[in-house]
Amino acid sequence: MINSSKDRITSSQAVVILVNYILAAGILTLPRLSVEKVKTPDVWISVFLGGLIAMIGGVIIVKLSQQFPGKTFYQYCQEIVGKWVGGFLSLVIVCYFFTISAYEVRTMAEVTGFFLLEGTPTWGIILPFLWVGFYLIIGGINPIARMFEIIFPITIIIFLLVTFMSLGIFEIDNLRPVLGLGILPMLKGIKTATLAFLGPEIMLLLVAFLKQPDKAVKVVLIGISIPLIFYVLTVVMVIGALSVDGVVTRTWPTLDLMRSFEITGLIFERFESLLLVIWIMQIFSTFTITYYAAALGLAQLFKKNIKPFIYGLIPIIYIIAMFPKNINDLFKLGGTIGNVAIFLFGVLPLILLSISRLKGEKHETKSS
Amino acid sequence: MKQKLDFESQKKKVSKSSQELSEHFTSDFTLNLELVRKKIGHNSDVNFREFHIGGTGVCAAVIFVDGLSDKELIDKHIMKSLMESFSEKGVISNEFIKNQILSISELTEVHDLNNLVSKVLTGSTALLVDGVPNVIILGTTKGKSRNIEEPVSEVLVRGPRLGFTETLSDNTALLRQHGDNRDLSIINFQVGLRTKKELVIAYIKDIADPDLVEEVKDRIKKINIDDVPESGYVEQLIEDNYLSPFTQVQSTERPDRVFSALMEGRVAILLDGTPFALIVPVTFSMLLHSPEDYYERWLPTSLLRLLRYFAAFISLFGPSFYISFVSFHQGLIPTKLALSIMGTREGVPFPAIIEALIMEVAIEIFREAGLRSPKPIGPTIGIVGGLVIGEAAVQAGIVSPFMVIVMALTAISSFAIPQYSAGITLRMLRFVAMFFAAMYGLYGVVLFFLFVCSHLVKLKSFGVPYISPIVPFRVSDWKKFMVRIPLMMKKRRPR
Repeated sequence: MINSSKDRITSSQAVVILVNYILAAGILTLPRLSVEKVKTPDVWISVFLGGLIAMIGGVIIVKLSQQFPGKTFYQYCQEIVGKWVGGFLSLVIVCYFFTISAYEVRTMAEVTGFFLLEGTPTWGIILPFLWVGFYLIIGGINPIARMFEIIFPITIIIFLLVTFMSLGIFEIDNLRPVLGLGILPMLKGIKTATLAFLGPEIMLLLVAFLKQPDKAVKVVLIGISIPLIFYVLTVVMVIGALSVDGVVTRTWPTLDLMRSFEITGLIFERFESLLLVIWIMQIFSTFTITYYAAALGLAQLFKKNIKPFIYGLIPIIYIIAMFPKNINDLFKLGGTIGNVAIFLFGVLPLILLSISRLKGEKHETKSS
Repeated sequence: MKQKLDFESQKKKVSKSSQELSEHFTSDFTLNLELVRKKIGHNSDVNFREFHIGGTGVCAAVIFVDGLSDKELIDKHIMKSLMESFSEKGVISNEFIKNQILSISELTEVHDLNNLVSKVLTGSTALLVDGVPNVIILGTTKGKSRNIEEPVSEVLVRGPRLGFTETLSDNTALLRQHGDNRDLSIINFQVGLRTKKELVIAYIKDIADPDLVEEVKDRIKKINIDDVPESGYVEQLIEDNYLSPFTQVQSTERPDRVFSALMEGRVAILLDGTPFALIVPVTFSMLLHSPEDYYERWLPTSLLRLLRYFAAFISLFGPSFYISFVSFHQGLIPTKLALSIMGTREGVPFPAIIEALIMEVAIEIFREAGLRSPKPIGPTIGIVGGLVIGEAAVQAGIVSPFMVIVMALTAISSFAIPQYSAGITLRMLRFVAMFFAAMYGLYGVVLFFLFVCSHLVKLKSFGVPYISPIVPFRVSDWKKFMVRIPLMMKKRRPR
């Protein structure tokens, strides 16, 4: 079903998917979350290290997937640890995917409701978003990849434009001193920073779709480097403009950065709308890819057609998205997802990789 | 739909009668003639002319359709040469007539009535000779056609002034005339069950993907309809997704456009009786490109191309941006501008969406009226519609002057799109965008954009992704899509 030649994606498409998946809520919240932990301007070093850690995790995931060419995690997991454990792990990952997709949708609804549509009920914002996403993923991985390729250049152009416009209020002193309080506070931020790079887990599935699976490691490295640049740039600009103390008090510091300067004489005087536009697109891409990953997981687990699962997941995602009562609940949900992800995608792939290696060796010794 | 139903009910009759008709000719002249007479003799425009072959007394007859066949040709090269006394009174055989008497280049032989009728009714002349079971068909077609003129629907400042006509042979000739290209294949089909029509597909043999050619052939063979009046019918019957608002087949009147498409590996479909040729597969960028882009120097045309994309953007999103900024996000536009817009909207009793709808529907009506009315009235409609009503609507306080500007801008922008069908698509989608904007403001516009993109990435035209030059991401094709790179840098064919 999914292994037909039409459903292949190129390496560059995989990079784009990965970048779009990683870039999501983090752009808006990462500066605050990490500064809360670090409390010094050295956050950007933490973000940098977080990206490196994510790369290591991504490479492990790729190595694991490359052991089973043409198969997604849901298919090979059962081969490694047996039918029941494998099925259970797959289910957990499916749950993870649709929870994160619901989380992204809700975050989007919160921000949009706050900045663009005051008074519009959350369900009113969420529902059309779900339907558009549904319409996209019913077409399979190829349309998704192509869609992301449209979103990607728009994101880069607008993001760079907006970022460089805020250079006017950037003060280098806000970023000094570098490592003034030693390395320790900087290390505290690494976990938060790493969580902003959630996304390489999609390689558990994507490697199976790749035209050239042997390039997957490269895909991961490039695919994480681009968000790394984005994030470091964002953190540097936000802290440089708002200072450490200013960042902590703001819920969406990046948007506040855009609101805090005006360039007169242009059609737009304020640019947070532009940032919001690309940000909504980024959330859309994260939402669709996780939604698809969850549906694909269920379809492969039960060996059925993917369509009924795509239909069936919509109400589930909607209910989970509506579950947090307020924005604090939502951030708590985000934290929980992060903790689960660290186990699922930091530890689990390593274990599975070593098991499969061991099994492989046994197999080889037997056959020889 | 109705035609299809009709066809279903008559399918049986057709097959029955065609069995009856597939009668072969015998060597009995009078019987043969009677057979033909019975079939088409009742038509007043079918001429039967019986005569004796020069000096021998052998009976013969020519059958042709008045007006469709070239009478002068028949008189001079068929009748005259046959009725002249032959010096040697040899046997009047088929070969003798064919090889020594008839000085006409296009000549075929048929054995049964069915073929004869279809040839005669398309302008050929049938020659029946006593004692010969074969009927000779002579190509004397001289259809009514107009001269080759400049295409009306696609105007260029610079470029060939040739346009297709309603005659298929003229059109294929125009393609051949483009230059000596041995790989240009022109393949003939017949479409239509009751009215048979000639249709050709043209492609360059070693550039076009063989799978694509096969696919086109397949789809044309599957066309199941009584009559094909215009290539628009073919277009609708072979397109991939009939629910999509986007045209998946490009139509053009310009041979140069067809030829450049052929050189890109596309397939052209030409139908007899219409000057509009079809090009498949279509990709999104084609709808915004004009052949002139390549005739002028690269710098101005690149800029013009960018301008066209901008126009398409305005044409699609203009009113929806107005709606979302006026009714949702006044804070996002400069304060002075916001104040002046609000000031002009002071007396307007409607919300922005109603205001925009009034004006946008009005301009669509003006446009439609101007299009269908006789030529001299067109400008009057423009003046009355655009100037008088626009001005009066503002003074009456129904719409704000700012809305009139937006409306005018979107209308003009949609004219800047070189393809008429693409313009229509954008005009339709503009209304959808307006509703999205009225519901959700800027968020709605983004949603709508995502929605349209989601549709576009799924859409395929003959197996080729609709937006293919944009994605999959190829830098070289991207450059071509956005700007028109200098010709000397164009060395590689698009894949």
